[in-house]
Amino acid sequence: MSAPEGLVLLARVGRHNSRAIETYLADGGYDALRNVLGGGMTPEAVTEEVKKSGLRGRGGAGFPTGVKWGFVPKDTKGKPVYLLCNADESEPGTFKDRLLMEEDPHQLIEGMILSAYALKCRTSYIYIRGEFYLGARILEKAIAEAYAEGMLGAGILGSSFSHDIHVHRGAGAYICGEETGLIESLEGKRGQPRIKPPFPAVFGVFGAPTIVNNVETLCCVTHIIKRGAPWFAGIGRNEKNTGPKLYCLSGHVNRPGVYEAPMGLQMKELLFGEGFGQGMRDGRSVKAVIPGGASAAMLTAAEIEDCPLDFDGLAAKKSMLGSAAIIVMNEDTCIVDAAVNLAKFFSHESCGQCTPCREGTPWLHRVLARIEAGEGRVEDITLLERISNQMANGMTICVFADAAIAPVLSSIGKFRDEYMHHVEHGRCLAGPRAAAGGAGSFAGTGAVANAASGRGAHPPPEIPGA
Amino acid sequence: MSSTPAPPPAGAAPAAAPKSTFTVVFDGKPIEVPKDINLIEAAKLAGIEIPHFCFHPRLSVVGQCRMCLVEIEGVPKIQAACTTPLKDGLAVKTTTEKVVQSRAANMEFLLINHPLDCPICDQAGECKLQDNSFGYGDQKSSYDERKRQFPGFGRTLIGPHVIADMTRCIQCTRCIRFCQEIAGTGELTFLDRGGRTLVWTHEGRELDNDWSGCAADVCPVGALTTREFRFRSRVWYLEKTSSVCPGCNIGCNISIESKESIVYRFLPRLNPEVNDYWLCDYGRFSSEKLNLREVGRASIPEDGGRRDVPVPTAIERIAREIRTTVETTGPGGLFFLGSAHLSNEENFLLRKLADHLACPNRDVVVDRSRVRRMKSRTEWFEGDHFGANFAGARDMGLAPADGGYDLEAIWSGRASPEVILVADGAFAAAADDPDRVAILRKARFLAVAARTASALSRAADVLLPSASLAEKEGTFTNVQGRVQMFHRAFLPRPPARAEWEMLLLLAVALGYGDPAWTPADLRRQIAAEVPGYGDVPDRELAGGGLMKKGLFVSTGAL
Repeated sequence: MSAPEGLVLLARVGRHNSRAIETYLADGGYDALRNVLGGGMTPEAVTEEVKKSGLRGRGGAGFPTGVKWGFVPKDTKGKPVYLLCNADESEPGTFKDRLLMEEDPHQLIEGMILSAYALKCRTSYIYIRGEFYLGARILEKAIAEAYAEGMLGAGILGSSFSHDIHVHRGAGAYICGEETGLIESLEGKRGQPRIKPPFPAVFGVFGAPTIVNNVETLCCVTHIIKRGAPWFAGIGRNEKNTGPKLYCLSGHVNRPGVYEAPMGLQMKELLFGEGFGQGMRDGRSVKAVIPGGASAAMLTAAEIEDCPLDFDGLAAKKSMLGSAAIIVMNEDTCIVDAAVNLAKFFSHESCGQCTPCREGTPWLHRVLARIEAGEGRVEDITLLERISNQMANGMTICVFADAAIAPVLSSIGKFRDEYMHHVEHGRCLAGPRAAAGGAGSFAGTGAVANAASGRGAHPPPEIPGA
Repeated sequence: MSSTPAPPPAGAAPAAAPKSTFTVVFDGKPIEVPKDINLIEAAKLAGIEIPHFCFHPRLSVVGQCRMCLVEIEGVPKIQAACTTPLKDGLAVKTTTEKVVQSRAANMEFLLINHPLDCPICDQAGECKLQDNSFGYGDQKSSYDERKRQFPGFGRTLIGPHVIADMTRCIQCTRCIRFCQEIAGTGELTFLDRGGRTLVWTHEGRELDNDWSGCAADVCPVGALTTREFRFRSRVWYLEKTSSVCPGCNIGCNISIESKESIVYRFLPRLNPEVNDYWLCDYGRFSSEKLNLREVGRASIPEDGGRRDVPVPTAIERIAREIRTTVETTGPGGLFFLGSAHLSNEENFLLRKLADHLACPNRDVVVDRSRVRRMKSRTEWFEGDHFGANFAGARDMGLAPADGGYDLEAIWSGRASPEVILVADGAFAAAADDPDRVAILRKARFLAVAARTASALSRAADVLLPSASLAEKEGTFTNVQGRVQMFHRAFLPRPPARAEWEMLLLLAVALGYGDPAWTPADLRRQIAAEVPGYGDVPDRELAGGGLMKKGLFVSTGAL
């Protein structure tokens, strides 16, 4: 990890016994909760504080958290309000929530109790990715500790506020990270997104008003209430992109990992900075960077110059911060291979309810795999663009299809020459094996370790002149 | 997000009574539509077809097939019509280039993995995929990969009636929703996800509920078909005739689909007040009974066997026996038995004949069945009687008059008529019960009209060959008191003829009635004589049927 001073979310990560409530309490944990429940703040004041902090959702969409909370109807018609913690971290390249849950679970629990207090919510759920077995165990233990300390249950810390947290493990579907898919799955149904409206804040889990927040978002709430909105808003590039942010750096860099920095860190700094990625592995140069997880459009080496890693900085470059998963690919990477890999992931993870996505994602994958295997045709490239454009922008219920086409369209748009080389010569343009007809090594970046997918198909090596 | 209307400004005129309709603008043309319908239905009212697969007026809206895409004024992205809430002033565009392109794109997606083998698919001709492809597709595809297969999930009987073939499925989930929301049994589910998504029964279950045929009905493609109809006929050769299901006294509205005097199937015919879009399996698959023609000729017993006679001869013989009995023992020696399988017109004529002869002994067979259930648009109904017209037969007066006795009196031996006329020999409980037949056989003369052979038909002194439901027209009165009309699909095969014709011949022979009477004439007589039955044009009876009390007219087709 980088230097501990100045760290907020990761401040306790790596400390001895950081998961235990004793060390958390010793570090001043639950002070914010104690203060709030001791009469320090009304629920409305907590919401107001979060609004003033400028906190935007860390799950991917970057929607202002306080504003989202404000969507819960004043009169819930007798229905309870639910808070769901979205811990279904499945975006390829993303591994920040896992770290937060496994290393500092009480930071999340305190944030959840504070948020629940603001939302007047009696019961909340942590929907955790099924593969995060360790994280689920750690959270369950931490929750038990919190109950024992009177931080959860009836009448928390002697106040009139009561709250329960349940951990619910998913069953291995990327789409359950979409908030309505998550709600369906939590209800015990097949995980597929709902039609919106109604939005979850009005009609969510079990038909009740529901707020779904990302792990990192809820962890931020802890610190906003502890240190105040002005402190939080003072961190970051500008008033629209505030607070500390976790970046998941992976790919061909010397030091991949989770890094915390003020929102708006320069991409170059993350890749090459001494406290961060420390430059490209083996001294190679950058070819492309995926800045926000698999669903974000790729950026070229030129585009990462003056590229602040925040919501608006990346939106300006027609990509997105998403889950802040920065996947770096070096000059030896075959972009077509990378696109095949990502398309395979999306084909595997489509829930299958909407026609364009159900049929389009496997189609994209098959055409890409064919191109990658050296059996492509020139018209396949326009076909890929046509399929992509037919899948997104309102054609489907959720934005999965929009995510699935982002790597395809951006890679074609920015690396068309590599596609052309593939269809014209039947082999990669880039990479150490390009001359032998093989493909580069996107899979070697390790960035897609959780993409549940393997390599694209490769033709047997051709020996020139043989 | 808030839907609370702003309070009216102070001093404003009191608000007008809230409108019961919305004004929706389709392609620039405003139309008033009810508030509680879907945008797709609203468009239909405006005469605009919005193509769709997964939307069904009685099932939950899932917005999955993405075929009903339209543009909504003020919304940048294209929208699914079925999931767009209706509201006042909504402006819908259904013909823009974006809409046309999106529909064509969606059709292309739907067809890339769908077998293009319509000539060997049983759904061809009534396939929404065919229709929408023809209407909204591009008729070409760029798909050059292998088509998806579902090994192990093709052509499989997944219940007593339904055959599933997943390569043809377009994952619209109508069948799943039907089983969950209407049948309430939930046998079907999605398995797997993404491009591998398929519909199948839950582990260890079969698609075995009382309405399983409806799952095949709601299937827009050839993924679910019924084994009873599968590959028996191309649907475009079939003629549709509006009729009423003869299965029980709910009287579900059906289409009889027939070709060359053979009935191939019953399909539900929309009537929101009775059976809505549905039909139970018992009724649906009883269609085959209409093809039974075991009693094709009139016959009389001879030398231990039977001898065929012309129908007029047979009727003359019955008339002679009746005349003789009236002259010798009086009309009290006669017994007239109607049936829930006969139309109001036939039962009415039978009763009028009894009246004419001053015979008080008449009844209708009580033939209880297991309770069958059917859901109208709003509520569940129960039927508990074989034959669609038990209520109608009673209404027509088939019950003992003063001094008369009923069928029960004959069974119990308290009465023993000399001449018994059984106007329909299809009553299940007795026709093949030798003890019951023996009791009826005690009469000096037993006349039976029947279409199927039974112990009763073999015992008859005169057997008349009657017609099936498909071979005649008339009205039934169902358990709600709704009078519904059924039409003739084809003529009976001579010499068989409709019961009303034979009854009329008999009546004329006995000095009652006019040989020129038709069922329509009989309906007018019913209207004049039977309380609750009004004189209404046939075409009104033929639509949703009419409630005899208050002559309620249904809302008709959606």
